Amino acid sequence: MKDSNEQRIQNQFGAFCVKVLKNEARCIQREYARRREQEKPLDDLTASELEQTATWDKYFMDEHVFEVQGLPVVVTGDLLAEAIAQLPEGKRDVILLSYFLGMSDREISERLNVVRQTISKRRLVTLKELREYLMKEGFEWPDK
Amino acid sequence: MAGQVKPIPVPVILAAANGDEDALAAVVAHYQNYIRALATRPLKDEYGNTYLYVDEDMRLRLETKLIHSIVTSFKVLSA
Repeated sequence: MKDSNEQRIQNQFGAFCVKVLKNEARCIQREYARRREQEKPLDDLTASELEQTATWDKYFMDEHVFEVQGLPVVVTGDLLAEAIAQLPEGKRDVILLSYFLGMSDREISERLNVVRQTISKRRLVTLKELREYLMKEGFEWPDK
Repeated sequence: MAGQVKPIPVPVILAAANGDEDALAAVVAHYQNYIRALATRPLKDEYGNTYLYVDEDMRLRLETKLIHSIVTSFKVLSA
C-alpha cells in the first residue's frame, strides 16, 4: 500500500516536471520564432535602410566667426550670421558685443569710446533692422 | 526516455516542493538530460551545414522555470 502511494507521488511529480518543461520549451520556441519574424540582422539591411539608422554630427557646420575689436565671436546659424554680416561695422559691433559677449551698454561705450546713450539707441535701431532683414529673408519665428 | 532512470525518492520530492536547495539540485540533475534534449536546436552555418547545439540560454531558462514551478505550484494530489 505504501509502495503504491509512493509511486503515485513519484508519478505525479514526474508528470508535473515533464509538463512544465515541455510547456516552457514550446513557449521559448514560439518566442524565438516570433523574434525571427520581426527582427532582421544588421547584415541583411540594404544600404538605404542602414542609412536611416545613422546620425551625423553637425558641430561647427553652421558656425560663423566674426571679429570685434580683436575678439572672436561665434555666431551659430547661417541666416543669423548672414543678417549680421550685412550690417555696417559700427552697428554690427554693438550687436555682437551686447548679445554675443554679454556686455552692458556702459562697457561697450567705454570700449568704443562713445556715449552710453548712443550705444543704447544704436542697439535698438539695429535690432529693428535685423528683424526686418530676417523677415524679408523668410525667417520663421519659433512657435511659442 | 526517462524510463530506465531510477525515479526520485519521495522525501526528495517533498523537500524540493518545500524549497530545499539540495533536493532541488537533485531534481534538476535528474532532469538534466531531458532539459538538454529540449534545449537542443539546429544551427545552420553559412555553408548550409546543419549542426545540433544546446542553447545555453534556453537550458538555463528551462531549469529556472522547473525550479520555480516546483516550489510555487507542485502539490501532491490525494488519491
